[in-house]
Amino acid sequence: MGNLLEIRDIHTYIGQFHILEGVSVEVPQGSIVAMLGRNGAGKTTTLKSVLGLTPPSKGTIIFDGQAIQGMRSFDIANLGIGYVPEHRAIFGALSVYENLLLAERKKGDLARKEDFIFTLFPDLKRLMKLSGTRLSGGQQQMLAVARALVPDNKLLLIDEPTEGLAPVIIEQMMAAIEELSSETTVLLVEQNFAVAGKLASEYTIIEEGQSVKNGVMADLREDKAAVHRYLGAA
Amino acid sequence: MDFAATFRNNRVRIFTLLILAMLFFAAVQGMETKDWVITVMRGLAAGAVVFLVASGLSLIFGLMDVLNLAHGEIFMLGAFIGWTVYVRPDTFFDVLTPILLVAVGFALTPVWNAVLGRWEFKGWLAKLVPWLAILLGLAMIVFSFANYPITKWHPDDFGNSPITNALELGQGIFVLPEPLPFEPFHPVVVLMGLLLGGALMAMGIAALSRHGKPTTTSKPDRLPYVIAGSLLIMALLIFVANDALSSWLFEMNSTWRFFIAMAVTTLFGGLLGGLIESTMIRPLYDRPIYQIMLTLGIGFIIVEITRAIWGRPSFTMPKPALWANTGEGCPATSLGEALTNQCSTMLLFDGRIRTYNEIFIILIGILVLIGIWLLIQRTRLGMIIRAGVQDSEMVEALGINVRRVFTLVFAVGVALATLGGVLAAPSTGLSLEMGVSVLLLALVALAIGGLSSFPGAAVGAVLVGLMQQFIIKYGGIGINLPFLEEPFKPSPPLVPASVVLLMVIILLILPNGLFGRSD
Repeated sequence: MGNLLEIRDIHTYIGQFHILEGVSVEVPQGSIVAMLGRNGAGKTTTLKSVLGLTPPSKGTIIFDGQAIQGMRSFDIANLGIGYVPEHRAIFGALSVYENLLLAERKKGDLARKEDFIFTLFPDLKRLMKLSGTRLSGGQQQMLAVARALVPDNKLLLIDEPTEGLAPVIIEQMMAAIEELSSETTVLLVEQNFAVAGKLASEYTIIEEGQSVKNGVMADLREDKAAVHRYLGAA
Repeated sequence: MDFAATFRNNRVRIFTLLILAMLFFAAVQGMETKDWVITVMRGLAAGAVVFLVASGLSLIFGLMDVLNLAHGEIFMLGAFIGWTVYVRPDTFFDVLTPILLVAVGFALTPVWNAVLGRWEFKGWLAKLVPWLAILLGLAMIVFSFANYPITKWHPDDFGNSPITNALELGQGIFVLPEPLPFEPFHPVVVLMGLLLGGALMAMGIAALSRHGKPTTTSKPDRLPYVIAGSLLIMALLIFVANDALSSWLFEMNSTWRFFIAMAVTTLFGGLLGGLIESTMIRPLYDRPIYQIMLTLGIGFIIVEITRAIWGRPSFTMPKPALWANTGEGCPATSLGEALTNQCSTMLLFDGRIRTYNEIFIILIGILVLIGIWLLIQRTRLGMIIRAGVQDSEMVEALGINVRRVFTLVFAVGVALATLGGVLAAPSTGLSLEMGVSVLLLALVALAIGGLSSFPGAAVGAVLVGLMQQFIIKYGGIGINLPFLEEPFKPSPPLVPASVVLLMVIILLILPNGLFGRSD
């Protein structure tokens, strides 16, 4: 089936800081790949480098057969990449409905996807008119994911979707991600190994800005020593 | 709507506004009702002009984090451009043709981009050739402009200075001077010089900005050709019909001419804003300090260019006919009468207010307020702006070209400032210093209202206008303060000081301004 996304040995600087010192990730079409690693390893920066928000200074990024490093962020997004950032980044000044409408790339996107989005996140339906600031953390997270589902995205970059959420909301979020992955490929950054272990089929580990290990998730789940070594958790 | 929650969250704001409102109503005790009405109306008129400048500043700062320190000088430039279209339409049409011809070359930029894709200069040639093209093009433009006869005033020639032009127009005795001939070069040479010079410059600039960027493979559609063709046709038509157009505009009813001047100035402001943003501000997005220095520099340049063209002395702009009558049937006693008799003043609660300042300017201010509110709240562009003010990076990650929105917002902001200038001109006259005082008031209005809040800009501007006019009024009649025997009369320098004092007090209570948010 081939890789939808290939990150080949990228180096990214933020200011003078050499954050990524050689990261390589492969995301096969139709899979959920978990990007794991400790705090500050460079996972978020990797996602941002794919989107061009922190462009890589070296290396290549191939999406759907096209080299995208160096392109403007909005051009990259319009190729079919959705982004659910850390800290959600929903717009408080806009209502829930407007947040979703803004994500349209073609007129009518939201109308077509509405039913699917409300199946995954039924709560959002009654919150449509509320402004973003009035939502709880869990509701904001749902909105952030829903927003990435409005246009037809081939790849979703999701950054720590369960951070700070109550367990019951985490369950809901996991069910939603599992459901949407049937249509979309996902690259998931997740500190919570319990979540990552259940959702992802493959994994890649980043440590201090470098790719150190990758493989099939089923193998990692058995390998307690590796989990402890790289993620510092059981 | 959850009133209880809204009240609780905005307690301090509501109380502050209530206290301010009470103070202004209490001021009615210290003066006759009719004087209070006049002062309030004048305050609103001053506030409307400040609002036009402040709203543009607020939109630009809120979305792009650029504090456009040239905004006051742009306001001034708007006044001067509007004056030129209104008082010297011959000059206006004379200048329009060369500008349109140069613009033709730039309108074809997408075509140059596609053509240049076929040529690839290597190494140092890639930098040298474009610069040569730019310099050569510039030289041709300068040469042509120098030899293009523009019939205009001469600041040093009193009989034909802006002061005299305006005075004579006001008295109805102004006559358009004879158009100057083309010498020593044939008009076709000069016109071609402008056309080719513009094309060369545009090609050079296109080549430079392509250097080091991924090549665009898209072929341009027909749009650039359509635009360039229209500009060319317009330029030639205006050239051929120059005298007829000048007479037509000059002999027109002055009210309509004024409206045309307003429209032309605002359009010019928008185009100028778009040009400044895409060429000068955009390259400095990640260096905000340089951006501010750049806008400051642009302000200086605008003042010097204005001085060079219009001269140093200040002059007036005669009021358009609709607001000029002081004879029979005036002052009017109702709005209908004011319109029929075209009165310059009207009686409101026994107070005499000026129809142009206190009715028309306020009306335009309200229309602009409603227009921008509709744009921001009800359109997709407005949604993008509101989202972009909070997090422009995320907006771009959604697939939206925020840079184009930045250019548009900057253009709208500059257009509003130029509109403010042409609106203020018949009321306050034109001077090289008019930009500085309005910028100060606009910045204070923004600080009071909250730096990136658009409704804050409106409220702040109104408060600034009212404060200014009330202190001016008290300068005349004095305030009875309890601990003083004599009424205290604020002297003129205290007027801007009092506005700043109002800002300080409000910021002490609400550090982010009335509607500002800390982020």
